[in-house]
Amino acid sequence: MSMRSQVYEWTSQATASPWTNTNTGNSVSIFIGGVGNNITKPAETTATQFVVIEDVAVSPTAFMPSSTITPGGFYRGLIQGGLGDAGCNGVIGNRAYIQVRINTTDYFLDPDNVGNDGIPGSASPYPRSTNFQPAFNLYPDVYVLPGQVFDALVTCYQNSAFGSSVATNALSAFMKYTLYDGPDALIANKLLEMGISINPGNVDWYKRTLIQSQSAAPAMA
Amino acid sequence: MSMRSQVYEWSNLAASGQTSSLRRTVDAVPVVIPTNREYDIFIGGIGNNITKPAETTATQFIVIEDIACSAYLGGALQVRINTTDYFQNPDVTDQAGVPGLASPYPRGSSDSAVTDSITDYVQLLKSFDLYPDVYVLPGQVFQILYSLQSTNGAAAVTTVVAAFVKYTLYDGPDALIANKLLELGVTINPNNVDWYKRTLIEQQQRSRVAAVATNGGSA
Repeated sequence: MSMRSQVYEWTSQATASPWTNTNTGNSVSIFIGGVGNNITKPAETTATQFVVIEDVAVSPTAFMPSSTITPGGFYRGLIQGGLGDAGCNGVIGNRAYIQVRINTTDYFLDPDNVGNDGIPGSASPYPRSTNFQPAFNLYPDVYVLPGQVFDALVTCYQNSAFGSSVATNALSAFMKYTLYDGPDALIANKLLEMGISINPGNVDWYKRTLIQSQSAAPAMA
Repeated sequence: MSMRSQVYEWSNLAASGQTSSLRRTVDAVPVVIPTNREYDIFIGGIGNNITKPAETTATQFIVIEDIACSAYLGGALQVRINTTDYFQNPDVTDQAGVPGLASPYPRGSSDSAVTDSITDYVQLLKSFDLYPDVYVLPGQVFQILYSLQSTNGAAAVTTVVAAFVKYTLYDGPDALIANKLLELGVTINPNNVDWYKRTLIEQQQRSRVAAVATNGGSA
């Protein structure tokens, strides 16, 4: 149980504190942002843990001619939102993005080296479907070293595009990561020093080399 | 944090009454794009832009791994490094680049935004894979140029178009290793950068052992 595949799903409308238009345009933590389902404290690793984030995804968006879908109308399961001039702006869905933050550093940057909103839901959709397929693969993975705080921040730019419940297409996000604990976290640190990618296969490989070197030592004696 | 997977998404959406904005704005509306002209998705003056031309510093190395754009209206993407276009015709003349039909964004979107909602349920897959990757060396400026063959509309009904770039940013020591791999003729990707690091470490260990042996067993 010292290497464990983990997932975290966030849904904006799942609780009594759902996403509202006042949140639109602001980044909200999927762990402790006060919107949707949250956890009790910031996500962090202890001194004996190592986390490798392997995938992040957020609700997709479709692009259309403006006025094709009227506000409240649906296209491929996504709702047309927007207020005022943007009431039928051809952006169907939340126009959502997800950023990963380690301690205080944003992972995804624009080419001018300024932190951006992160991965668009159109590139890494959640859920995936034949209509909305991924164009993005989080490789290399994101490492969260022992003692670091990590977060995933969702920003969306389309008002009133979140359904009223999970069933009606709420704004959602997803994170897949692997948690290495105890001895496996030490091995993960060792692999990091050695410049080897940290994944369960390489952790197992390192364990095997340790066992082989130990068993070779008595034979030499 | 010295090898980072990065994405940049552009769309022709800006606040009502404007043609472009730094970063994104809430409830943005689509902007009309003149046809058969190339617009830099970073600083082209349409949709969401950034503060300065995209370029690498002396300690950065960028590997562009994927480009994609809306599949309709004859949209296409070209990569320009400094002043050189990457995609060209067999007669070495200019072309628009990779068509959105070959590398659609979003994946699974339709080839026709107008009819899709009513009768057409095409879900496009990519026909194009950017391999080998495009390298942006330290100190180079790069542009991703989007162009349309057909108009995306008038003020009343304007079609939203988008483009997407996926690249890996190598910074600091990893950018030096990327340059070294380039000299060696080895493909630059995270695996090979890690491989080069491992060979460096192994060399150091070997030379340390050899030094100990030379000194008669004392370090």
